[in-house]
This record gives sequence, C-alpha cells and structure tokens, in this order.
Amino acid sequence: MAKGDTPMTRWLLNGQEVENPTGMTIMEAAREHGVDIPDFCYHPGLSIAGNCRICMVESNRSHKPIIACSERIADGLEINTDSAVAIEARNSVMEFQLINHPLDCPVCDKSGECILQDHSYTHGPDRSRFVEDKNIRHTKELGPTISIWGNRCIVCTRCVRFCDEISGTGELCVVERGDRAVVDVFPGIPIDNAMAGNTVDICPVGALISEDFKFEARVWNMDRRDSVCGGCARGCNIEVETLDGYVKRLLPRENLEVNDWWMCDHGRYGWRHLYSENRLTTARTTSQELDDASATSTLAHLVSRAKKIAFLIDPFLTCEELSLIHGLSSSIPDSIVGGWLPPKGTAEQFPAGFTISAAKHPNRRGAEKIFGSKVFGKDGKDLLEALDSRKVSTLIAFCGGPGEEGPGSTWSEAIRKARKRIVFSVMDGDWLKGASLALPATAPLEKEGTWINEDGRLQRVRSCWKPGEEIFSPELVRLQQVQMACELRTRCLSAAGVFRELAENTRAFSQHSHSDLGDGGLPLSRRRARVSSRGASR
Amino acid sequence: MRFKKICTQHIGKKNCHTLAFYKKQGGYKQAASALKKWDPDDLIEEVKASNLRGRGGAGFPTGVKWAFVPKDSKKPKYLVVNADESEPGTFKDRLIMEKNPHILLEGIIICCKAVAIEHAYIYIRGEFVFATERLQQAIDEAYKAGILGNNCLRSGIKIDVTIHRGAGAYICGEETGMLTSLEGYRGEPKLKPPFPAVEGVFGCPTVVNNVETLANLPFILEVGAKAYRSIGPEKSPGPKLFCVSGHVEKPGTFELPMGIPLRTLIDKHAGGVWKGRKLKAVIPGGTSAHVLTAAECDVAMDIESLAAAGTMLGSAGIIVMDDSTCMVDALLNVMRFYHHESCGQCTPCREGTGWLEKIVQRIAHGEGRMEDLDLVHDVCDRMLGKTICALADAAAFPAQSIVTKFSDDFVAAIENGGSPAWKRRHLSTVGGGASHG
Repeated sequence: MAKGDTPMTRWLLNGQEVENPTGMTIMEAAREHGVDIPDFCYHPGLSIAGNCRICMVESNRSHKPIIACSERIADGLEINTDSAVAIEARNSVMEFQLINHPLDCPVCDKSGECILQDHSYTHGPDRSRFVEDKNIRHTKELGPTISIWGNRCIVCTRCVRFCDEISGTGELCVVERGDRAVVDVFPGIPIDNAMAGNTVDICPVGALISEDFKFEARVWNMDRRDSVCGGCARGCNIEVETLDGYVKRLLPRENLEVNDWWMCDHGRYGWRHLYSENRLTTARTTSQELDDASATSTLAHLVSRAKKIAFLIDPFLTCEELSLIHGLSSSIPDSIVGGWLPPKGTAEQFPAGFTISAAKHPNRRGAEKIFGSKVFGKDGKDLLEALDSRKVSTLIAFCGGPGEEGPGSTWSEAIRKARKRIVFSVMDGDWLKGASLALPATAPLEKEGTWINEDGRLQRVRSCWKPGEEIFSPELVRLQQVQMACELRTRCLSAAGVFRELAENTRAFSQHSHSDLGDGGLPLSRRRARVSSRGASR
Repeated sequence: MRFKKICTQHIGKKNCHTLAFYKKQGGYKQAASALKKWDPDDLIEEVKASNLRGRGGAGFPTGVKWAFVPKDSKKPKYLVVNADESEPGTFKDRLIMEKNPHILLEGIIICCKAVAIEHAYIYIRGEFVFATERLQQAIDEAYKAGILGNNCLRSGIKIDVTIHRGAGAYICGEETGMLTSLEGYRGEPKLKPPFPAVEGVFGCPTVVNNVETLANLPFILEVGAKAYRSIGPEKSPGPKLFCVSGHVEKPGTFELPMGIPLRTLIDKHAGGVWKGRKLKAVIPGGTSAHVLTAAECDVAMDIESLAAAGTMLGSAGIIVMDDSTCMVDALLNVMRFYHHESCGQCTPCREGTGWLEKIVQRIAHGEGRMEDLDLVHDVCDRMLGKTICALADAAAFPAQSIVTKFSDDFVAAIENGGSPAWKRRHLSTVGGGASHG
C-alpha cells in the first residue's frame, strides 16, 4: 500500500485501523495518531537504548509486552496502549523507578518540567510499597558547568548517548552496576565540550544539574518566549526564560532545519552581558543624562537638522530595524551607509552535524539584503575612510552585540572622528566618548523582529522584555518615532507591521510575513507554497 | 549407541591437557576431516541432524543457530566462544578448558569451517586464571603444530583464535552483553533484533557457542549424527557434563548421558546427601532455575523433562540442599548475587533485583511481614519478561519458586524473628557482648 511515494503499513492501534509510513517505530507512529506513549530513555535525536521500559505496550506478536520505542510497525500488528497489560507494565516501571528516587522535588531544579514527575502523575502508583532505605549515589561536579545528583539518576543513558553520538566527545559513562549504577565521567576528564549544556536539557530527571541555573528559579514561575540565539550566524532556535524580567536560562528549541534539538554553550550561557555593570541603559548627551522621551526628541532634532548623515550599521540589527534605518538613510540625500563586523571566532563542527559558526553575529545576511552585498565590505571601507579623513559631519552609529569591545578599536577611533555623532550602544565604552547623543541599544535577546542566518533562513526573534516593561525604547520604536518627527510616517507599528512594509518595498522579503514564518522560520528564497502537487502533505 | 565420555574420559591422566596427549587419543582427526572433506552446508546439516542443543543454558539447537548466519554477507564472520561460565553452581567449562583444552579448539575449527569463519574469540571468565593459561598454552601448541593459523592442518583454510578475558561480570555471559564487552564497551545486553547471527560483534555476523557445545562437535563427526542422537533422549541428546555441588558427599562434575535421573545423579554419582541427612531442595540448572523440592526430584535431567517439571536444565549446575538448610537464607544468597550482577540497564531488573534482596534480607533478619511474601511474588511478576535480557527472569524464577515451595521457612522466619542462622549469629553477638559485660 502506498500513499504517494511512501510505502505505508496498516496496523491496529487500540482497536482502530491506522496507516503510517513503513519502517516507523510504534512510538513515533502512535504519536502521529495522537496516542502518546510515555518515554524516558527515548529521544528523537539519539539512538534507541530501550532500557527504561516505560513504553511497553501489549501486542499480538508476543506474550510479553514489547517496547514501542524500538519495535517497528508491521502489517497486521495489533498494539494496545491502554489495555490492562500495558497499564500494568507502565505502572510497574513507575513503581521501580520511584523506589530509589528521592522525593526531593521541592528542592530539585527539574521539578515542574520533570518527565518522571509527569509520568508518575499519569502512570504511577499513588503510594510506594518500598519500606527499605533508598540507595545513595554520588553527588559531584562532572565539569565546570554540570554536576550530577546521582540519587535522582534513572540511568536512561540519554546524556551518555548524547556525548557519544552528538557531541562526539564521549566524556560521560555509566559506572557501577544494578541499582548502584550512575552517570559519571572518567577520572580526570571532566565534561567540558561546547555542547555539554544539552545533557542537562535532555536529562528526564534532575540528575544532571546546570550550575548556571541551580536554585535560580522554579521553572513554573518563569515566562517563556520562543526566540533565536544571536551568538553566531547559525541562528539556533531557543526558548528564553525570564523571571521578573530577568533572563534566567536559555534552552534550545527543536528545529530540524537549523539546530535539531541542541544549542551550544557559548549561546546558552552567553546572556550575562544583559546585566553587565557596563551596560548603557540611559541616554546621555555630552553634558547630561536624558530620560527616554527627551532622548528620542533630541535624536529627531539632530536628524532633522542634518543635511547629510552617515550611518554605521551592525550585524546584530534585525531586518526591521535595518529597514527603518534604510527608510531614514534614503530620505536624506547623499547619506552613506557602511557596516562593521565583530572579529571572526572559531567554527566548530560536531559529528552529528551540529555546527557553531565562526561568524559571531546573527544577521549579516539581512543587512546585505537590505543595504546591498557590499555594506560590510567596500561600503564599510568607504565609510571608514570618510571618517578618517574627517569628511563626516553627522554619524549615526549602531554598536550592538554582546561584546565589551563594542565595534572594536578601529571603529571606536573612527567614530570619534565624526563631528556630530549619535551612537546606539549596548555597552558603555570608548566609542561613546564625546558623542553628541549616546543611546541605549537592545542586545540580541531584547529585540523583536527577524534575522537571516548563514543559510539564508529568515527567523523570528522575540524580545525577553514583556511588553510595557521595556527598560528603554528599543530601536524599533525609537527609529519609528524619529521617522514620525521627520514626517516620514504617520504611526508607530509593531515589528510585524514594519516587516510588512519591508516586504512591500524589498523584493527579497516579498514572499514573507511574520505570521507565515511560524516558530521555525523559512528560507528567504522560498517560493510561495502552491497547493502541493503531491496531495496532502503534512 | 552406548554412552561414552567425550570431554572427561582422560581427566586425571598425566599431561592430559597437552597436544601430544590429545593427538594420541585421535585428536584433531575430525577437525582435519571437517577442513578437508566436509562441505560447510553438509556440516551444518549434520549438526542439525545430531540435534545438539546449546550447553550454555538456553538449549538452542546449534545447527539451526549456525544456519541463521547469512552466507552472502560481505563482512567477516566471527565465532565467539562463551567461556564466561558464571552461573552459580556451574563449573563444567572450566574443567574442559583446564584439562582438555584441545577438544574445544577442535570444536572451534569444525564450527569455523561450517560457517566460514576465520577468527574465533574465546571470551573467558576473568577469574579463570589457570584455565586461561592452559587454554593459551593449547592455542600456542596448536599454532606451532599448524593446526591453527593461516593454513590449518594444511587445508589452506585460515582460522585464528584469540582469548579475551572478562573483567568479572555475570552479565557478560549473556551473549549480547558478551559481544558489547568484547567490543570494548561496558558489558550490557543489546536489543534484539538484530540477532548476533546477523549483526553481532563489531557489527558482523557472529556465532556465539558455549564451550561444552563446541566440545561435542568432534564426537558428532566421529560417530555421526544418528549415533549421537541415540545417546539420551531424542530431543536433547548427547553426553552432558553435570555439576553437582552443595550438600552431597562427593561434589563434582560428572559426564553422563542426557536424561539421567536426578536421583541417580545425586545418590549414585555424587555420593548422596551428606552427613546422612535428608534431601530438602535441588536447584537443577544453575541458580536461575526454579527450585525443586525433594518430592519433585524424580525427574530426568534433560531439557524437555525438566521443562515439564516446571524448571530448566539451564547450565546443569545442580545445587543440592539438605534438610538443615533455611531456604530464606538460601534465597537471600541467590538474591544478593543477582542484585550484585544486574547490569543496571533496564529499570525492572535494576530496581527489582535490589528490592528483592532487601525484602528477603528483612525477612531473614527478623523484620519480615506476612505481606512481604505476596510482595516478592508481585515484584517478580513485574520483572518477568519486561527486560532486554533474561537476568531479571533469572532472579525472579528462584525467588518465586523458593517462596512458593518453601513458604513454611519464610513464615517461620517472619513469625520467629528471623532465619535460624541469623538468629544464632545475632544472639551469639548479643550474648558475647553480655558475657564480656
């Protein structure tokens, strides 16, 4: 039986005849039909271990329950996930899992997002028949960022398989046997690879603990926003979790086109600059600090009086911000635009295909689409020369990004050669010295809009700020207010609205809208989807 | 055909482990004939026809197992000899390797010819230091004599044999656990399928055979499948090594035909229950088997008869217990073993084996409750058939059968504050302390 090109298998799921592509495992296939089979050791990104046994289901092929994570569907296979046999099997695994698991959920960081808690609630017994003492296993640091709380370990080996298969570094292993078994590192070799943080995410219990997040927040109190990491040009999809407006943790978000289920530790822990003492949070002129509204009006005043403006852009700006800058620059005759790039870092490639880009900025592609492919090349060089030869009277410079070095020493010096200079900056630094107006700029995690990653994928970026709780006006708003003051627009739009304008004005973006991009983004160059010729596609 | 000892007939004679001695008895004749005269397919058919059943514990027909190996595989094929004899009460393979190592090597050559294998690994239990030495000597002798190597017995066929020592894990006697260990990984059983015959060690087709199984092969070729099948019962024929230990006058390994009555084995060959005591219980096939009460001991020692009696031949490690034995202590000993040896991979086994030990220990130490007997049953039910390998079953079988068949001992321990042995020890400690005071 075939649907399109894919051979299909007919089987019985809880008494109903269903169809799935041949070769699927029972678990994957059942999930396609909305039947959730619980798991601990199964992870779609890892090899099948089949050791936790929680996914046991009843089948017509064996008198014993079989595990749904490894067994594959077959024609005529009958699977029951809610029969007495299956329920008893799950119940028994839960009882076993819990006999040596400490009841320390109140102090466990995993609590609230713990698979063991969830399954215990759904599939577990409500009391234990275990009256003996629980086993004690080691609690120790496994590396600079990760420790193991061994008593909680259910030896699912997800983390071990991750280090073997995905990061390829193989630091983790299981030591000891039986109910003494626990995850550990080899003597003298800590877990210290650029993907190590993922092991904490995939730990189904609170055994692997991130030292960075330990005791920081109860997970249910945090706000979550889907966003994209700005650490490099890869653009890993992430979740940003905040408590009381402060970022507490970044987590990877599944996107098989970009980062699978993972993110690197540079990105994961690379948000401390948001709360750096060096952060520029208030606008100031050479003489005084300004409140947010006066900062905007001062900016509008400076822009409207300037005859000629040079713009220095950075590769952290969103397409929306860039579009607004483009609107301003094209309204002023003879304005020039150039860009600066942060220094190249090291690229890393992992065996399973995950890559960290050497380009430590998220939106070079977007800037090039809007300002042309030379904006960081020749245009930048021209701007630098113009600055060096003191030909620039007014400069609006964007010094975004997480770096304490801002745009780097060359550009810092060059900026100071402009007669009047307006500098948007995340950090305070040399490049702000003598600025007519220094304006606080949003850091990557604080932006609303879109970025284009190194593969040309357009992705939505969301701010970790709650609406109404902004610390200062983000560029997206401030630039629109300036445009309004210059009578270039009538009202202030959301990021989606600004993107709509961008899509109308720029061919490269014309196929897209924020709502179309969804959670995972789309290739910028995609053709608008027609009604699929292959029939119903998922 | 009349029964004849094949593995142990010359044990005790001087230099019985040497190549010279082995050759004098006609050794390696069958290997030579297998290498030079036999067609591989005919060899497999002959072994199938002999009905040789695996001697490691599961009793799988050896010829059928060989036939599972794909003939058209482009990968190399391997033979892994299971010499990780660790089932409590079993010490037959050790005897073969220490006293008659060349019979194993001859068996290996026959198997390698039948399945077109060029490299055999002997995964030997790490504790078998002497057996390893003897086996290595035998391998060295065989290489030197041109029996092994690139041109085995001048047949043009290449067969290499390598010994790999285990590191002391019972689980590495499970065939897939053995293969992962041999590959250099933590010894943990693997999900099946793929079965070793298709994808075994290093991802290549692999035959895993027990030492005693392979030691039967020269004899099968010598007398022919039909004659072999006439020894013992048709369905599980052949000479068999039985290991008798425990409360008997003459413990040891006895080579006897399959199907010998258990009573005869104990009373005649092993000298009967020791110290004139009465028989209480027998574990017939290593501790993983269901226990038999004295009344159930009128049974023939072969695969089918023991299965019919609700237990198994297993590794034929027969543990005899006299009527002074407290079955609570006996079970505690068994449970401690499985708890210690569970690899910890599958949840029911990892947690269940430890839990069982703790429950039985509580009963033995006078903290038992009547509901614990049901709890043992229930925990066993929750372990049975729910794991990757059979270690959980191996722990549950003795637990369930001992608690059921000897419930009186357990009730007594619960009601009287512990097992007699524990009470004696406990009281003597307490008493000793008092006398000092």
